[in-house]
Amino acid sequence: MSRQLSYAKAILEATDQAMGLCPQVIVLGQLVDTQSGIFGTTTGLVGKYGAERVQDFPVSENLMTATAMGASLTGLRPVIVHQRLDFMLYSLDAIANWLALWRFKSNGKSAMPVTIRTIAGKGWGQGPQHSKSLHAWFAHLPGLRVAVPATAYDAKGLLLESIFSETPAIFVEGRGLFSMTDDVPEKPYRVRFGQAVIRRQGKDATLVAIGSMVPVAMRAASLLEKEGIEVEVVDPRTLNPLDRKTICDSVSKTGRLVVADPAWLSFGAAAEIIATVSEELGDRLKSKAARVTLPDSHTPMSMALEKEFYPDENDVAAAVRKSLG
Amino acid sequence: MELSHRTLSLSGHYRELTLRDLEPAVALQLFRQMLRLRRMEEALLAEYHPAEEMRCPIHFCIGQEAIPAALSGLLKADDFLFSHHRSHGYYFAKGAPLKELFAEIYGRSTGADAGNAGSQDISHSGSHFYSGAILSGAVSISVGAALGFQLRKTGQIAVAGFGEGATDEGAFWEAMNFSGKRRLPLLFVVENNRYATFSDQLKRQADDNICERVRPFGVRATKIFGNDAPLAHRTLEAEMKRLREGDGPALVEAYTYRWNSHVGPEDDSSNNYRAPGEMEFWKDNCPIVLLEERLRERGMLDDAAKADLEREIALEIAANFKFAKESPFPTVKDWHRMNFEDASPMADRLLGTASRGGFDPDQAESKLGPY
Repeated sequence: MSRQLSYAKAILEATDQAMGLCPQVIVLGQLVDTQSGIFGTTTGLVGKYGAERVQDFPVSENLMTATAMGASLTGLRPVIVHQRLDFMLYSLDAIANWLALWRFKSNGKSAMPVTIRTIAGKGWGQGPQHSKSLHAWFAHLPGLRVAVPATAYDAKGLLLESIFSETPAIFVEGRGLFSMTDDVPEKPYRVRFGQAVIRRQGKDATLVAIGSMVPVAMRAASLLEKEGIEVEVVDPRTLNPLDRKTICDSVSKTGRLVVADPAWLSFGAAAEIIATVSEELGDRLKSKAARVTLPDSHTPMSMALEKEFYPDENDVAAAVRKSLG
Repeated sequence: MELSHRTLSLSGHYRELTLRDLEPAVALQLFRQMLRLRRMEEALLAEYHPAEEMRCPIHFCIGQEAIPAALSGLLKADDFLFSHHRSHGYYFAKGAPLKELFAEIYGRSTGADAGNAGSQDISHSGSHFYSGAILSGAVSISVGAALGFQLRKTGQIAVAGFGEGATDEGAFWEAMNFSGKRRLPLLFVVENNRYATFSDQLKRQADDNICERVRPFGVRATKIFGNDAPLAHRTLEAEMKRLREGDGPALVEAYTYRWNSHVGPEDDSSNNYRAPGEMEFWKDNCPIVLLEERLRERGMLDDAAKADLEREIALEIAANFKFAKESPFPTVKDWHRMNFEDASPMADRLLGTASRGGFDPDQAESKLGPY
């Protein structure tokens, strides 16, 4: 029996089930105990689990992260929430200098199972300080897992997996995806890290799409289908670890690669994916690989500029057509 | 006169150390622990260059033995201790095995962290001891441990040891705000040794008054002359008792002084950062000498007893060096496994598997409001 649930409701359900399954799960974040509940992803949890387990936290992002880390050493499984990824940047010391290397530094004897939820990307007028998509920064760090779920199904399964795994995870949620629904099973289930999914089969070109670019890429594939072009859409679902094998297997079949990444062009996840494919089978590519990304510019507020800033299905389709020559 | 580095450097030999109600066994243990730590650091310092086998930065704590010695007698096995880069005193205070400290500094597989961490990042999770080299970072993490103890009602306490330099950082004040608000079972121990590397506290802060500044956050604060080991013991004991009764957090600022360079055995005096006469004052008020004076006056220590103690310590240190030097170097097994844990027993137990349906990409994107 299928049940449609929005991305936001799937995140709420995953958190609710995790808290129900395990009394050690706590949620920390600004406004997590309010009715609005971080776009509906924490609404009602405080009533069910109490203010000790669902804590509004001071506007101290660095301390919030460090607090979750210290709490995890005592056996708790904290989930922390940032309404904007931009706010989270105050916690870079905690993340890069401590959390990512804690396991390494202790020679595997100490773990910090912390889940950091953060919301990023496109939204009306969010501008340069409310929309940055820095998943590649975090994926660069050894010792951290990074999830970029595109669908409600993956959001639930990856969040549960993050909470109950032993490696800390950064869970990057696409703002534009929150209302999108998907079939979401009611039971608590897992989606494993490092397992990409083929969203659509095709033989002419491989289109790797990350996070909020997944629905865009799938719409582009539909456009191209009408032109007789069969695109294989690969959603890596997590960037660290990255399922390099599934991506390479697809490209070895199609011979062409386009990557759609909702982030800046330079030094990003798209570059990493293209580099991986080049190293594995560069001499077998039928055409040059291509990236569809944001321009190397900060996000404009004006809707006129925003429209130009974010690539849409036509941009993705154009890149695929170009790769086909 | 208000206690500060300025007033201290104007005073002479410290005569206020008293054993008062201190049990003789406690006084002798404080002495023994300080001497062990001093001799250990002296031995590491002496060995550092000739041997060239300790290939990591070491921030020696000679001169700052009183606080670690006092903590060592008061911390319980399940309390957590977080330290900064000048870590040896705190590692020692938590009762973590010293041979593993030596082996860690030597980069050996038998080290506390199998050579991944070295002196300034050492941890010993079995002893609940953690350190790191980014000043206030460990202070912040200690807040979370204290929150965990509070939420789980375990009766444990967390202690964060750091220097006055850490209070330059914003992260420190976030920790004051939240721990005061939540009344966490957390003890902040500031060893104020005046200098962040070569920079005087008063070049970085308007006043030498950390205690005054943390109190409005709801953090109880006491400043003490940090080379008076019995005073450190009494102060920390009283604060830790209150923390265990739910009356936290507390901060103790201990004025002390590092005799050596900021890091390593090299002399850093060419930077001319120390005030004239300062080193003489602090060496005259060595925490070990101050306690030894009283113990001898009381007839609790004599030359023979001290010689016995020195012999015992020398044997311990020799055994630690031997252990470190004879231990094998680590070998690379798997870089991935060193950084990631792939096993997930909890997820295996609690979560099932499911299968995806068909995701419809033709839905409108959400237009979220501000919250």
